[in-house]
Order: sequence, then C-alpha cells, then structure tokens
Amino acid sequence: MLTEREIIATLDMLRNENLDVRTVTLGVSLFDCASDDAGRFIDRVRAKISRLAANFVDVCDEVGLRYGIPVVNKRISISPIAVAACAASPEEMIAIAVALDDLAAKLRIDFIGGFGALVEKGFTQGDRALIEALPEALAKTGRVCSSINVATTRAGINMDAVALMGRTIKQAAELTADRDGLGCAKLVVFANIPQDVPFMAGAYLGVGEPDAVINVGVSGPGVVKKAIDRARAANPGLDLGQLSEVIKRTAFKVTRVGELIGRQVAKKLDIPFGVADLSLAPTPNVGDSVGEIFQSLGLKSIGNPGSTAVLAMLNDAVKKGGIFASSHVGGLSGAFIPVSEDLHIAEAARKGHLSLEKLEAMTSVCSVGLDMVALPGDTSAATLAGIIADEMAIGVINSKATAARLIPVPGKKAGEMASFGGLLGEATIMNAPNDGGSDGFIALGGRIPAPVQSFKN
Amino acid sequence: MKKIVVFVLGPDRTGIIAAVSKTLFDQGCNLEDVSQTILQTEFVGIFIASMADNGNEDEVLSALRARIGSLGLFVHLRPVEEEPAAGVQTGEPFVITTIGTDRPGLMAGVTEILARYGANITSLKAVSRGEENHHEYIMMFEADIPSAVDLSAFRAALCGRAEELGLDISLQHREIFEELNRV
Repeated sequence: MLTEREIIATLDMLRNENLDVRTVTLGVSLFDCASDDAGRFIDRVRAKISRLAANFVDVCDEVGLRYGIPVVNKRISISPIAVAACAASPEEMIAIAVALDDLAAKLRIDFIGGFGALVEKGFTQGDRALIEALPEALAKTGRVCSSINVATTRAGINMDAVALMGRTIKQAAELTADRDGLGCAKLVVFANIPQDVPFMAGAYLGVGEPDAVINVGVSGPGVVKKAIDRARAANPGLDLGQLSEVIKRTAFKVTRVGELIGRQVAKKLDIPFGVADLSLAPTPNVGDSVGEIFQSLGLKSIGNPGSTAVLAMLNDAVKKGGIFASSHVGGLSGAFIPVSEDLHIAEAARKGHLSLEKLEAMTSVCSVGLDMVALPGDTSAATLAGIIADEMAIGVINSKATAARLIPVPGKKAGEMASFGGLLGEATIMNAPNDGGSDGFIALGGRIPAPVQSFKN
Repeated sequence: MKKIVVFVLGPDRTGIIAAVSKTLFDQGCNLEDVSQTILQTEFVGIFIASMADNGNEDEVLSALRARIGSLGLFVHLRPVEEEPAAGVQTGEPFVITTIGTDRPGLMAGVTEILARYGANITSLKAVSRGEENHHEYIMMFEADIPSAVDLSAFRAALCGRAEELGLDISLQHREIFEELNRV
C-alpha cells in the first residue's frame, strides 16, 4: 500500500514542477546500409529506420500515458553519416539529409541526429564531403541535427577542423539568414563526444553501439528548484552540504522516472535499453529553468560571482543521485546551460549578468558547453574558431565532453534579440570580440597534441 | 486447521487489540493477518486466525463478546471463504487520484465507473481539507484493473465522470509511485 505522502508528492512533481521525460531516443546503426551508390544507401536507410521506428512514437505516448509522465520528445540517433556514407559526394550528402528529414516527418520524429563526423585526428573523404554539405543541408532541412567531433583527450585538438567549423558555421548562418541563423542551432562542435547521447543537437549512435538501442534523457530542473525551495522554507538554516543532499535525492527520483519509461519503451519495441542521460535539461517554459536554481541557491542571477561554484555543486549532486537510480548511465549527464533554451539564462544574458567569458568558465564544470549562444552577425569565422578552440581545450584537458553551439545571427548586433522558435527559444545576442585578434592563431592549423594525463595541477 | 475472520468495530480506545488477541489466544486460535484503521474517532479491525478443525466458532465469538462487548464494540465472526469473492479478477495495479472541491456524491460518482469496468479497489484513502468555506477533497484509490479492460476507454470514462463532478483526475500505473519513492 502506498502512503498518502508518496502519492501527493508524486502528483505535485507532475502537476506543478514540470516533471517529464525530455527525450526517448531510438538509436539506429546504419553501417549495414552502406553502399557506393547514394540512392541505394538512402533506400536502405529508409527501409531500416521505417521498420524499427514504425510504432516508436505511439509506444512512447502509450507508455507515457500509462505512467502519467509525458515523453516530451521522441527522437532518432543514427551512425555518423560521414562514416556510414563515406563514399558520398557533398551533393549526395545533401540528398541524404533531405531524405532523413522527410523520414523524420513521416515518422513524427522531431529531430534526427547523427548527420555528423568524427574528425579529431583528421578527415576522410566522407568527413570533408559531409562538412562541405552542412550549410545547405541544414538550410534545406528542419529536423536533421549534426555534431562534429573535432577533439578528444586521447587525440588532441584538430585545429584544421576547428578552423573549418568556424567557416562552416558562418556559411550555415548566412544560408538561414531569414531565420536568425537557425541552421547553426542544429549544428554542434564537440570534444570527447559520448557515443550514446540522447539529447540534440549532439545525438548520434557511436560505432561501438548495438544495431538498435533505446536511450533516454531525463529532465527536471523545475523539480530540483521546487525541492530546494521547499527544503529552505521548512528549514532556513540549511547549508550547501545539506542542500546538495536535497538535490541528490531529487535527481534520484527524476532519474528513476526516466529509467522506468525508457525500459518500458525498450521492452515494448523489443530493442535493448541503453543508458539514462542524467541531465538537467531546461526548456524556455516558465518553471523549467536551470538558471532559476541559481536563484534558489542564493545568487541574484546566474552569472553572478559564485555561479561556477553553484554549477559545479549542482552538476555533481545530479550525477550522484542519478547514478544510484539508474543501472546504466551515459550521454552527457549533468546540467545544461543553453542560453536561448532557458528563460532565466536568456534573461541573465539580456540584463548583462552573464557574459560569454563567464559562460565559458562555467562550462568547465558542467556537462556540455557554450550552448545556443547567439553572437553578432559580423563575428568572423576565425573568432568563432577561436571560441570553439577554447571550449575544446576545456574538454580535452579535463577529460570531459564539451561542445559549442554558436549562432552568429546575420545582420544583428550585440543586445538585439534572436528568435529560433519552439524549444530552441530566443536569446539576446552576446558581445563577442571582433578585432581579428584570433586570426593569426587559427591560421596556423595543425593539431594541438593530446595532453599528458598525469601531473594534474 | 480452519480459518476464521473476526471483525471488530466501534469507538476507538486503548487496549482493543490487546483484548482481542488475548481472547483469541486463550481460545486456542493462532493469529495470521491483522489490519486496523482509525477514521476520526472510529476503530475498525479485521483479524484472520486459524484454529483446530474441531474448535467451536460460537465459543470463540461468545468469549470475544464477553471480553470486549462492555467496551461498546461490535464483534462479528465467520469462517473464511476458501474461494475469492465472485467477480474479482486479477489485473494490473493502478493509482487513481482525484482532487476537487468537496461536495456530496464524489465518491459514489467515481467508484461507479470503477465498478462498471471491474476495477477492484485494494486501498482507498480520502481526505477532506481546507478552510471553513472551501474544502478540497482528495481521493486516492489503488485498484487492480483487469487485463482485459481497454485502458483508453476506461480512462475516457473516468475523465468524463471527473469533468461532470468538477474533479481533476489522474490514472497512473502503481509502479511509477514505487520507483519514485522507494529504493
């Protein structure tokens, strides 16, 4: 028999605190679809994904309804296309992206991720073709997401790839200038990308993964914030050690929900369950903000001095609670701080509490990186590459995933608003240096060697 | 061995369980399952006990009446039926919760739908709380819903009734509450 308190507390999390499962992501390996003929590759991909995902959305909805927990997004991650379709030309890569977009629409999938490449040590022909195709592919499609891994702790940073991505991001922004550079919101540059990320835009299915797998991304910033508020109201004397315990317990509950839903979906589809990604993923909705948690922990705004420490504690507590709740943890696992996708972070940027530099500092302790950062349209490719290189260095040295999803908004300046629609939200454009100060460094190219992993100081 | 079930109800006071269990012990009965609950001032207890095949139920009942009748308590005793009650089917456990302004007929209105679909209530708690002029009534049912029931039709019927009654209703598999709250 359940207790009254168990029932009422669970209902409160659902009704008032935005508890949901942010994404159930079906991973599909496309390696068995490989062909030297792009048309044949597309046919095989269409057949395989259609077969595996025919009932995917309905099953997610059915399981969500059964437990009263909405599965907000249903997504698909695929093998990196630069590997699976290595022989394709840039034009054929664009055709593949369009075919994936049509397929996603037909299957009612909101995003399909994996139109990407792994180039930390160098480029194959497929990598070059895919990256060349990216600006047009992202402009012509609405649901296709791309991640390019340019650095790892074991390989170092491919600075040729970093420079190329700076130029690619500029082109992607220009081709979607009428939508504030929306193409860039679906493109993320990574260091140490995990093979099983369920969240977009970084989702892809790594080469060591099974033929098909269900990964789940949990959410719950609203639940964590309310739990902290309740604990502090009940006992105003709580210190940070005690509050991190509150976060830990809450993360446990949130993760249990994700794990249960993911396993049930996997069971019904007869596909193995992979991992739960223990991330606090915000949305632009009221009461679903990571930024707001900073206020509950005593800061006036995210971005104030103390923010990096708060984020470090938050990230760690979420992991500690989540790891105990899940049998297999993976993906990014931590707190996200995407500027446009979080009401309070966007507000902090608008009011000037949060600068690009502070954001970068915070990414050294959180799970992703410079995420959904809108920059002035005239930010140069070399400056973008410099920002990416800094972010990659943080990941490579700290043996963690970091990423940059930068949007140089065409025709707009710092302080103006950029709007990307839906879950991608809107944000004030942040100031970025524009004095050509990074040009010489980026022009050097080559690969920054892998760092020593001992003598940590 | 045979089984008996003893029902005890009346105004709550200290010593009821002690008196019942001592009497059953003295009569050679072995207590198996016991459940008691108190609603406001009223006590209800159910005791299932085993006794020797040649034991006399009437003597046990007389002893119980003699011991606790003076406390203002009503006692009833009968043999336990071997077969489960007619119409109870096995199913999956769900939790149904309603929240809304208190008024007469809420419980009857909701449970009529549960009965119609063959959902067997295994646990029920209803609380009325709030201020003088506005009482919020929360009902929490745990119910086994037969596997054959079309869940979406049941859900639609429940939601329709809840709307007529001005209630916010939710129907969730019990597992979610256990996963969330228990290690």
